[in-house]
Amino acid sequence: MTIDPEMLMAYADGELDDLAAKRVERAIEADPALAEQVRQHRLLTARVAASYARVAAAPVPGHLADMLRSNVVPLPTRERRRHWATGLAMAASLAIGLVVGRGLLPASDSGFDPRISGELAQALDTQLASVQPAGAAARVGLSFRARDGRYCRSYEQAEAAGIACREDDGWTQRHWIAVPRQDTQYRQAGANGIAAAAQAMMAGEPLDAAGERAAREAGWRAE
Amino acid sequence: MRGFETDLLALLPRLRRFALSLSRDAADADDLCQASLERALKARAQWRPGTRLDSWMYRIMRNIWIDEGRARTRRAKVLAPEEAGEQAGYAGDAAIEAQVAMGDVARAMASLPDEQREAVALVLVEGLAYKEAAEVLDVPMGTLTSRLVRGRQALMRELGEAA
Repeated sequence: MTIDPEMLMAYADGELDDLAAKRVERAIEADPALAEQVRQHRLLTARVAASYARVAAAPVPGHLADMLRSNVVPLPTRERRRHWATGLAMAASLAIGLVVGRGLLPASDSGFDPRISGELAQALDTQLASVQPAGAAARVGLSFRARDGRYCRSYEQAEAAGIACREDDGWTQRHWIAVPRQDTQYRQAGANGIAAAAQAMMAGEPLDAAGERAAREAGWRAE
Repeated sequence: MRGFETDLLALLPRLRRFALSLSRDAADADDLCQASLERALKARAQWRPGTRLDSWMYRIMRNIWIDEGRARTRRAKVLAPEEAGEQAGYAGDAAIEAQVAMGDVARAMASLPDEQREAVALVLVEGLAYKEAAEVLDVPMGTLTSRLVRGRQALMRELGEAA
């Protein structure tokens, strides 16, 4: 019987079932030229694969890897905050494809300082959602009480968005997402992610304008 | 959901390799990779867990190459094969150096018609089974094997006895 080139190739690649492979082997025994062709097929595969293996071994450009590195950065949580993990997972699943610049990522969770200072802290202390000054460092979104009684506020900046909660010693990041300025689609995903995280953290309803004002008067203290 | 990005990150070196097989140009390959990742992240709901993520990505990448690559393919054809081979070296990062080092094999691959090159890339380079490769390319098995055997014969001729 004759062995067509496709069948011989499939034999060389181990693609034939036992029965067909047996037939090819019998033909090869009778014809050394077929054996040589099988050898050539396997040599070619090895050579081509080896050449391209170098491409796969080369370092991946940072901008491609960054597209896949964490979108929502989970911030260090204390034991008592475990129940927020659900919110984080939701936020992570909603904020699809958000790019976090490598320079902005915490080196490790333990090495990341979640305390907020400077302009953002001041905005969180003083700014009301109903009165957002033009040119402010941050735009405050929702203010609410978390389940542990602390006041938390979501905010958005030019390149980032997050949720901060008022601890005894100041504002602390609970969620943080880098938001590329130009990409409205990513911005929307980021806003959705933060909203979902806030929803999961919240005890009851978000504060209304009066509640927000009262909380500010109280210095955002949990009491 | 985090696993999806992690799995893609692990696949990234292979995706770049397939992109280079398709595009024959290191800069185009990384553009193609970026476009494929963007599409994958948007379409992640369409990926069924438990099925092969690599095949899914190869398919996405190849579709983008076909949809958006026409202009670049035309441009590539204007160049003589040896110019196209030279051009691969222009930007000088590690991947491109690797491609230059690939030398004869890259040139021989670049000389194949698209249909044969993608079949060879999926089976010989990416290590897919015939059935998986046929699915990525959306062709019957017989079509896949016929393209594959013609591509290999051309490569053997091109690379000579050393193959």
